[in-house]
Amino acid sequence: MLKSKVDEVLQDVNKLPAISSVVSKVLEKLQKPDVNIADLAQEISKDPAITANVIKLSNSAYYRASKPIRTVQEALMTLGIKTVKEIVLLTAAKGILSQDLNSYQLEAAQLWTSSLLVAELSSKIVQHKKLKIDKDLAFTSGLLCSVGKIVLAQFFSPVMMQIKADLKDNQEPFPTLEKKYFGYTHMEVSENLLKRWNFPQELTDVVANYLTPENSKNNPILTSVVHIASILIVVSGIGIDIGGESVPISPFALSQTGVTEADIETYFVHIPDLQAGLADLLNV
Amino acid sequence: MSIKSKIINVGIADIKVGKDTDVLRTTLGSCIGIVLYDPEQKVGAISHIMLAKDPTGKDATKFPHKYGETALPILIAMMKQQGSNIGQYSCRMFGGASMFKGINSQFLQNIGEQNIAIVKKFMEENKIPVIVEDVAGNEGRTISLYCDDGRVLLKKAGMEKYLYKVR
Repeated sequence: MLKSKVDEVLQDVNKLPAISSVVSKVLEKLQKPDVNIADLAQEISKDPAITANVIKLSNSAYYRASKPIRTVQEALMTLGIKTVKEIVLLTAAKGILSQDLNSYQLEAAQLWTSSLLVAELSSKIVQHKKLKIDKDLAFTSGLLCSVGKIVLAQFFSPVMMQIKADLKDNQEPFPTLEKKYFGYTHMEVSENLLKRWNFPQELTDVVANYLTPENSKNNPILTSVVHIASILIVVSGIGIDIGGESVPISPFALSQTGVTEADIETYFVHIPDLQAGLADLLNV
Repeated sequence: MSIKSKIINVGIADIKVGKDTDVLRTTLGSCIGIVLYDPEQKVGAISHIMLAKDPTGKDATKFPHKYGETALPILIAMMKQQGSNIGQYSCRMFGGASMFKGINSQFLQNIGEQNIAIVKKFMEENKIPVIVEDVAGNEGRTISLYCDDGRVLLKKAGMEKYLYKVR
């Protein structure tokens, strides 16, 4: 059991994926109801990489701004605080989710593409089913649900042979094997990371339960949305990892969201079209 | 892999052809990767299909590469454009995984099986031999076709192996 080694890493800030202090501060400010735009713009401007991305993406076809945007302040005024928050998070996520996870059989480009697609499809499902959920929140929680794999990927080597043997006659969802060998599922690690980064509770709840939506305490509907989106993206083969298609779609998630068999078919068939619309974000 | 080789990613619902030192690569869940390879001319192609048929009846005219029904004739035509005709290449197929048995979505349960069936039917009708199949199960697969000798590198469930059979 490698749990003690995983624990060691989870307790060592220097060994964990990090988000910049600017991102943390921006998120913190955004959680207050009376956020001040000038103040927020000043905070974002402290990080040149994030500033450049905010301006570049604000002007991209994806966000369709009504006029050219030259500063962070203009981005906040034109696109609104929520969209700029999404861009800041996207930039932070790209920094973390752009690495090869060879033990999971995932390359960096696949990990990023699939994270974006789960995000985008989650947001589309919320809109299509007219659910009372903020579509930006759906996007962000979908984006981050694989983040725990980055920590667990480091621990596969010594047990890879056993995992392969287990996979031969496996009839369990892959997170069951994660738990068996590492003491944690990637969802538990994601939850740990998001808490550490001071992300809002509603997000941590989703990443903690997205493959077992019936366990969601705070937001079962949003968790169900991300569950369905993530399963469909895996079935399409984008970002499918060593676990394959081992997690069946949850009846609980279908009943919570009202997603029908016909909806599943429609969402699946349009995955390539969704991907085409994400070109600007894929190359952040 | 030689230094000159160029990796060509075949995306979802996409078809690509390659030759000589090109390497065509795609990743599959329930979708199917259809590999055609002509060992004499060192020409190959991969088609990545999502579904056997267009359930809407309208999408296939706009996006023919998504569906076996419309993609496979295009795949054959693209091989022909490269100077390779039926009789000069054979077919290998990969993917078509399905979820662990459940009754939660007939659609998701059946995608893989239906994809496998349509490819077999098409190849049989067009007298294109299917010489290798690594299909079904619930694993994801990444395949790479090396056009210099037609070998396919298959990655699944933590394993990697080369498949050298080309005729």
